Amino acid sequence: MSDLHWMTAGEAAQAIAARKLSPVELMNALLQRIGRLDPRLNVFIRLDAVAAMETARAAEAEAASGRLRGPLHGVPVGIKDIIDVASLPTTCHSKILIDNVAGADAMCVSRLRGAGAIVLGKLSTHEFAIGGPSFDLPWPPARNPWNTEHHPGSSSSGSGAGVAAGLFPLALGSDTGGSVRNPASAFGIVGLKPTYGLVSRRGVFPLSFTLDHVGPLTRTVSDTALMLDVIAGHDPSDPGSSAAPSGRYASGLQRGVSGLRIGFIRHFHETDLPAHPEVNAALDNVSRTLRGLGAEIREVRLPSLGEFGAVNRIILQSEAWAIHGPWLRERPGDYGRLARRRLMPGAFMAAGDYVQASRRRLEMIAAVEAALDDVDALMCASSMDPPSRLDDAAETERTYPRQARTPFNVTGHPALAMMAGISSGGLPLSVQFAGRYFGETTLFQIAREWERAAGTDEKHPPVS
Amino acid sequence: MDKPTIEQLARRAGLDKALAEFPEDVMAAAEQASGSLERMKAPTDPRAEPWPPMRPGGKL
Repeated sequence: MSDLHWMTAGEAAQAIAARKLSPVELMNALLQRIGRLDPRLNVFIRLDAVAAMETARAAEAEAASGRLRGPLHGVPVGIKDIIDVASLPTTCHSKILIDNVAGADAMCVSRLRGAGAIVLGKLSTHEFAIGGPSFDLPWPPARNPWNTEHHPGSSSSGSGAGVAAGLFPLALGSDTGGSVRNPASAFGIVGLKPTYGLVSRRGVFPLSFTLDHVGPLTRTVSDTALMLDVIAGHDPSDPGSSAAPSGRYASGLQRGVSGLRIGFIRHFHETDLPAHPEVNAALDNVSRTLRGLGAEIREVRLPSLGEFGAVNRIILQSEAWAIHGPWLRERPGDYGRLARRRLMPGAFMAAGDYVQASRRRLEMIAAVEAALDDVDALMCASSMDPPSRLDDAAETERTYPRQARTPFNVTGHPALAMMAGISSGGLPLSVQFAGRYFGETTLFQIAREWERAAGTDEKHPPVS
Repeated sequence: MDKPTIEQLARRAGLDKALAEFPEDVMAAAEQASGSLERMKAPTDPRAEPWPPMRPGGKL
């Protein structure tokens, strides 16, 4: 088989189950590609090649004897380095935790292994999932495979870059202010922030307890549904875990969008944070296409992005200060500059500020719930601009906060970001779909229809 | 917030070392906090609950 690195997880799992593909052959192909591309992309903090190959050999033997562990048997997966993998360091890309070896797998990793997936290693993040692409840390930042001179999205950057570049078909990321959906937007892949509580946070280093979500990054909507099927589910050891039933997320992929009502939140990108003209045009094209396929597109208004962003920041930085205060007091020099600046604001907020933000949050949840009474899902921008040049600090500072992802961290509704087009400069543009609590199946239904119409799953970055 | 107020709050939070070694980062953090607080609207209903709601049976 050729181009094994562009196989989806679903295709690979099917081929392995049918004994048309060996897990060892797939692992070899990916390890060779990693060896060739990772020196330029900095995806891995720790590549666990020996263990991954041993596991692939075991998976091959099992498949040969007809024993399949689950729907991801023999499929490689990368893990963001704030998520525990037993016996590997969880460094959070920081000097602070450089020697922190995990004693056990996080629940989401455990579920992936249970389904037969093979852990390849630990992936670059922004320091403690907040710092930004930094050059003052023990490891370099991940690079954007579409153009390594441009911004790699936010903290799940290694996860997104590896998936987009064909180093592995699946990765786990985390999303507190948009960090699964930002790399998905910057790299033209699919990133899902599931409903709050749907995927266990046990074994994931916290940034903000009430805003943190674990989610998949993949190259196709069907792989996202497949991965969510595996990692979703109640975990009594996570106090935020939901008891709502999960599963069968791929059941709506072929249903199309005819008759669905989609609320288009235009004010996010038209007036709150006026988007780059190419982003505007791409969003209009998605809207027109879905309408042409039978969806009813209605305009929806929510609180402004500025206000969502403020509530997100106050809660995030208050909770993060509770976690990082002791280290920031004793070891401020062991953080990179960006993380230090982004983790200290909680020291300047009062308890009452946190409570007010939490009260306003409930009103914002009510506003989104009211909007979803009249429509089946929401559609809006993800990033307002194509990824900026990394060496243009002013442009990066201007564009980084120009996004519409934080509303759904504040409210906990599921949200998926994916490619909406490609800019004249050859960089991905993005769109975001959000849905009702535990309504991921409807999100996948809409996202798959757009993917099918636009062929976004066939577009890969120019790396080889 | 003016500089003396920021320094006072930083010391109260135990950030003496950061203040000595990275004073610009401490100032930037305080400015970020002020900016976020200014942009947030306070709830108008005095009975508005925080999230998670202090009642059983919410949707999450």
